[in-house]
Amino acid sequence: MSAPEIILDETIHQPSRLRVMTMLVAQPEDGMLAYGFIQKTLGLTGGNLTTHLRKLEDAGFLAISKEFVNSRPRTWVYATQEGRRAFADYLANLERALNWPASDAVRRIAK
Amino acid sequence: MQRAEGGRTEITPEESWRTIHATLAQSQSSLYLAGTAYILLLWGAIVSVYFLAMFAIGEMAPGFEASYPWYRGPLWGVIGTLGMIGSALIGHREGSKNADYATARAAGLRVFAFWITVVAAAFLVSGTAGLWSPEGTERIPHVTIGIIALGYVLFGIMHRPALAAVGVGMAAAFYIPAYLAGDYAALGTGAGMLAVTLLGATWIHRSGRP
Repeated sequence: MSAPEIILDETIHQPSRLRVMTMLVAQPEDGMLAYGFIQKTLGLTGGNLTTHLRKLEDAGFLAISKEFVNSRPRTWVYATQEGRRAFADYLANLERALNWPASDAVRRIAK
Repeated sequence: MQRAEGGRTEITPEESWRTIHATLAQSQSSLYLAGTAYILLLWGAIVSVYFLAMFAIGEMAPGFEASYPWYRGPLWGVIGTLGMIGSALIGHREGSKNADYATARAAGLRVFAFWITVVAAAFLVSGTAGLWSPEGTERIPHVTIGIIALGYVLFGIMHRPALAAVGVGMAAAFYIPAYLAGDYAALGTGAGMLAVTLLGATWIHRSGRP
């Protein structure tokens, strides 16, 4: 009898979206990162990042808010509770797929 | 393999695992490095001005140095404090562009704690080496610059290799003139420090993450 197939959430299981979600869930709850900071850190183009953010936002995994700081627009991105849960599930499934013991560092961000 | 907007859609679980670890490290480093290029320029200017002022005092007012051989200590105390305040302000301003207040502050405090530890080490080591005396004061930079340069190397190894190179450059800019340039050591160090920090700041600025 074969083991059940492990399915990784395909919204997260894509290199750029995985990196975005990792950055966001690594922040404390309610922690927000600037759009420009994510873009520079990951080395993505604006159009590329926007596409991936929209996909994750449509799935309810992150939220975007805009505000003006010193008359300049600033876009903040943060993981929603649903996004954190989805990422925790993704990690749990990833651990099962790899069949390795998880490191503490990765366990911590799943909480 | 499928392709969609923004690149590959499929990665192996192993690639995914590596991506998560690499992104965690990269993300934290980027938060810690907010404003690095500007802070580096600030310190380059401070250290250069200090050594160039020492050279000018030695050349133009040798009597002053003979009357107040301890002047370097208070001078370092004042400009060092101003430098720390300036660094904190730059770090706060640049950090707040990257993340919300609490997240940026947490990263900033860690960086501040690292550098306070390095500065405290320089202070304590020079003290325990017996340099806080009129006879030893001239040797204080030999200890403090070495420890500060080591701080740059360690921070660079952890977060950004360019800073490690700056640390090595700072040590070279101080020790080579100190042992080879005789009366022109302070002039050589001032010019060398300025060159190293300008090169380092340009390198970091061109990386797109100042």
